[in-house]
Amino acid sequence: MTASTNRRPRTIYSNPSRAARPKPEASGRERFWWIFMRLSGLALVFLALGHMFIMHVLVVLTGDQIDFAFVQSRWGTPFWRIYDLLLLVLAFMHGVNGARIVISDYVAHRTARSLIIGVLLFISAAWLILGIAIIALFDPSAS
Amino acid sequence: MERSHELINLFGYRMSWAQLAWFGHRASGLGVLLFLFLHIVETSTILFGPEVYDFTQTFYANLPAKIGEVLLMAALVYHSLNGLRVIVMDFWPSTTIYYRPLTYGVIAATTIAMVPLGLIILTPYLPWG
Repeated sequence: MTASTNRRPRTIYSNPSRAARPKPEASGRERFWWIFMRLSGLALVFLALGHMFIMHVLVVLTGDQIDFAFVQSRWGTPFWRIYDLLLLVLAFMHGVNGARIVISDYVAHRTARSLIIGVLLFISAAWLILGIAIIALFDPSAS
Repeated sequence: MERSHELINLFGYRMSWAQLAWFGHRASGLGVLLFLFLHIVETSTILFGPEVYDFTQTFYANLPAKIGEVLLMAALVYHSLNGLRVIVMDFWPSTTIYYRPLTYGVIAATTIAMVPLGLIILTPYLPWG
């Protein structure tokens, strides 16, 4: 191969982004998660970065602070409760599925892999229910 | 494909920027997920009233915690920008020819964005802040 053809970048259609995994050929569960990661990722760019920007930049710049009263006023409005609920559920599903993919890349033994992923999903489900419960159960009128 | 002078040395491993971008995406993603688990437990104290919750929040009001906060934000900014690159390239494969400029751009943009963001978060907790 000459230097000139070597320099021309190739278009890699099987895995263009060289991301964690190429798009699964067959439609089904793995294809669904491949698309889910990209769609939820796009939503999370706005939801998660927005959350970080409000909580850790705007709060500092406006001289406010995160305490009970702050959460009380935020979760007193349906908008921020739905925002936080959406952020929680999407971030959690996106993150846990990512962890599942990383685990299946490094654990070759089938039984061990199923076991570790099973434990991950069990703990994650319990944690997610706790998270949803916090947003749902919090009473802004209580002091 | 990668020429030798473009390899960088990370903890003794010689890797290309492409490998570093891939590794960074995984590391930042797992880091943010770990914090998400902690964040849910910490936020659950809101259900026990103002005294308990406000006390929990004092754990974050020191320099080491603020450095962690900057690292969390850097991880999130990098994961977001690199994730956008992944989305663009996976859905429009012809953009593969811009793989290097886009990857370098993601790393550069994260570094540049973290300068003002880091200063805003850290300044009140620095000795001269």
